[in-house]
Order: sequence, then C-alpha cells, then structure tokens
Amino acid sequence: MAKILVVEDDKDLNNAYTIILESEGHKVVSVHNGREALKAVEDFSPDLILLDLLMPIMGGLEFLQHYDLASKHPEVKVLIFTNMENSPEVTEAYDLGAYRCIIKSWTAPQNLARVVSDTLDNKLAGTKA
Amino acid sequence: MSTIEPDIETIEEQHSLAEALFTSIGDGAIATDEFGKITRINPPALEILGFSEREMLGNWFPKKIVAVSEQDVAMSLIDRPITKAFLTGKTISEKMYYRKKNGQRFPVAVTVSPIMLHGRPVGAIETFRDITLEYEIDRMKSDFISLASHQLRTPLSAIKTYSHMLIDGYMGDVTPAQKKSLRTIVSAANRMNELISTLLNITRIESGNVSILLKPTNLERLIEEVIKEHSLAAADKNIAIGLQKAKQPCIVSTDNLIVKEILSNLISNAIKYTPDEGTVSVQVRPRRYDIVISVSDTGLGIPKYSQDSIFTKFFRAHNVVKQETSGTGLGLYLVKGLLDELGGRIWFDSTEGKGTTFFVTLPKKSPTSSGQQAKKPSQTPASA
Repeated sequence: MAKILVVEDDKDLNNAYTIILESEGHKVVSVHNGREALKAVEDFSPDLILLDLLMPIMGGLEFLQHYDLASKHPEVKVLIFTNMENSPEVTEAYDLGAYRCIIKSWTAPQNLARVVSDTLDNKLAGTKA
Repeated sequence: MSTIEPDIETIEEQHSLAEALFTSIGDGAIATDEFGKITRINPPALEILGFSEREMLGNWFPKKIVAVSEQDVAMSLIDRPITKAFLTGKTISEKMYYRKKNGQRFPVAVTVSPIMLHGRPVGAIETFRDITLEYEIDRMKSDFISLASHQLRTPLSAIKTYSHMLIDGYMGDVTPAQKKSLRTIVSAANRMNELISTLLNITRIESGNVSILLKPTNLERLIEEVIKEHSLAAADKNIAIGLQKAKQPCIVSTDNLIVKEILSNLISNAIKYTPDEGTVSVQVRPRRYDIVISVSDTGLGIPKYSQDSIFTKFFRAHNVVKQETSGTGLGLYLVKGLLDELGGRIWFDSTEGKGTTFFVTLPKKSPTSSGQQAKKPSQTPASA
C-alpha cells in the first residue's frame, strides 16, 4: 500500500482515479489544483503524485516549481496525467523532475493501476523509467 | 544633336517613372547593382529596418541587412535569396528573419528578382514584407486548436474512464449485454479521440511544430503491433491481415510514434475500404538507403480521376463515400505530412474494384538538418 496524492481539477476524473487507486489498496488524498496540492504534501507526504497540468488557480507546472521536486523530494514519483499530447508543457514537466507522462484519454483504469504499481515497484528498486 | 534630345527626354521620363514606381511600392524595396551594392531603397524599407537612406546607399546588401534562420543563426551568403537570384537568374521567394538596426529580429517574406541584361544579371530588386502579424495569428490559431482539443478530451476521458470502470466491475456486476453496450461507448469515444489526435497533428504539421524523437526502431515489430491493434476490426469483416517479413532485420533511426501513426492510418484505411472476406497484407523491403513498406488490400480501389487528389485535405473519393460515410478525408493528408517530416515518401498503385497498394519509404537515417527536430521525452498511453 502506498500514499498517493491525486491532483486533478475535473471532479469526475478525480473521483474515478480515487476509486480505482483505493480499490488497489492505496491510501489516497485528492485535491483540485496545485495550491491545494502544496498544502496536502506537507501533511500527507505522498509516495506518488498523480498530477494534471492544466488546472485553475495553480497548474501542475507551477506546483512542480514550488514543490521543488528534483532537489527537495527526489524520492517522490510524479506521474503527469494530461491530455496535452506532445506539448512544451510536458517537456517542461520532465525538466522539473516528472517521472512519466500518461495521456488520460487513452488510459483505461486497469492500465492506470498498472502504471502506478510499476512506478512504485521501480521506486522501491531505485530505478528510472 | 537634335535627334538625340527626344531620346534623352524619353530616358528621363522612364527613369522618373521607375523612381515613382519604386518609391510607391507598399512593401520594403531595395535595388542593388551587379555586385550587391545598394543603389536604391524605398521609404517602407527604411521604416521597417530602422536605417536612414544615407546609412544604406552604397553598402553591400548582405552585410548591411543581416538575415538569420529560425534558430537565430546568421544565414550564409550562399543561402541568401539575393545570391540564389544572381546565380540562377530566377526570381527567388523565401521566408526568413531580418534584423533591424536596433538588433530586433523579425520575420519577413522576401522576393528577389535579378535584373537581366543580355542574359547576365546586372542588378537585383528585393521586396520584403514584415510578417510578424501573420506569424502571431498562426501561433494563436495553433494555441487555440491545442487548447480546444484538450478541453474536448477532458469530458471524453471521463466517459471512457467510467465506462471502463463499469466494465471492470468497479461499481458492481454488469450483465454481458450491458458490457457490450459499454464497449460500444468506449469504441465511440476512441474514435472521437483519434479524430482529435488527427486534428492536433495536422495543426502541428501546418504550423511547423512537429517534434521528432529519433531512436533505433525495429520496423517489423512496430508493424506487428499496429496489425495487432487492428486485428479486431479485421476479424469483424473476416479480412485476413498479415505481415510478410524481410529476410534481414529492418532497423531504422526514426520516430516510432510518428511511424506508428502513419502505418495505423494506412492499415485502418485498408481494412475500412476492403469488403468482407478480403485480404490486407503488409510487406517490408530494405533497400540501400531506405526501407519500403507496402500495404496492399483487395478493396474498392481509387478511381483514376481521383488519384491526383488523394493526398489533399478533406478529399474523399466518390466510390468510398458511397460505401463508408464515417471518414474525414484527413488520414492520407496527415500521412503525407508526417512522412515529409521524416524525410520519407508515399505513392500508390490502384485499380478500381480490385484494390490498392500504398508504398511508403523511410530513410534508414532520418534527416537531422531540417531545423524541426526537437528532442522531447515521448508520451505514451499507459496501454502502449
């Protein structure tokens, strides 16, 4: 079981990811923008963050900048979950330390569960994607 | 003496006419002698570049007007349109960037015409236009389509995710009939997704924003993956689909996501436009510098009168429109555009009523000097 933070502004998708990940036995906290995520990481200390990029108030990129993933939290894996295929924002997210990018609209729930599980396995093994 | 006077008058009149014409051109205009020295410059050119006439006249054109590429690298003399116009004796039109006197870079559309006398250039006239606004509109259009596509995909993601969750039993048991209906919803959402991807890719091609990530790719393995993805669609129509492998390994340095998109379009078309019980076969043949992939079907074929238009945007041949109404006419246009980006080619051989073979070539080493190659981490659906 891992601690997973879901950061997604779309309430329907946020709810769906929470159901899927909880059914896999993970402990999930869900928020709806980067600012809420910055508060949540302090109390929750997640192992993995499922992060949308385009969100109101504070987007995913701004969250990664403030969170300072690469230098302050290298042990946390961030999965970018977006529909912005091949966009400069995705490249920037990788530059900011994101582990992998997944296209939402092509990903079935079981595949989401599998990617999360693979990422957590790699985290334990200390390997990179 | 009296016989010469009218000629001088005529020459003066023509000179004034040329002067008036030159000055009144709305775009920037610069005239040079045969050595490229600036002999005349009109007011719009001075205004655009920020120089005074005194600063320009008598100076060597390529030195005074600095041209740079999109990557902000100074263009070599041989690549400048004025040099090409002098060397070829032909009018040359290109887009590039110029620098103003204050160092500011701006995009221009340039046309240079050589002034020919007895078959040799004795000077040149360049007209140029500041196209900053056009570039900005293109960028805005591209941004809008990207954003609109993203916003379209969000509700689609919810439709797909919840349908899958129902199928997978996250919300309790569902009957086989309900599962079948849910799969229809997923399939329709996938079709919509593909359409959005196509529109996005076309926007990227048209705005020159295709990012290419080259890596060694086993083409046969990639083709097998694509065939597997389309095997259900083929099975629904009892179409036999298969790959005829080459005798040697087909490894190319290319962008596998783009190649997958190309092959997926060709194979999906072949299945879509082949009647039940037909055949679709894919073949790979390595050559010295490239690899030829062919996709053959026993389908409707392309009527002779439509063959010249097949790669045109939104074009659909009359015989396929009658049979299959769901196409967009964007697939082959996209395939051609993507192949251009990879330095490949496409052509076909078709007989109406018998079938079509599309041939695609991929260079073993994709071009690296196109200026459009940007290394980006690739993104994949988790199912890939």
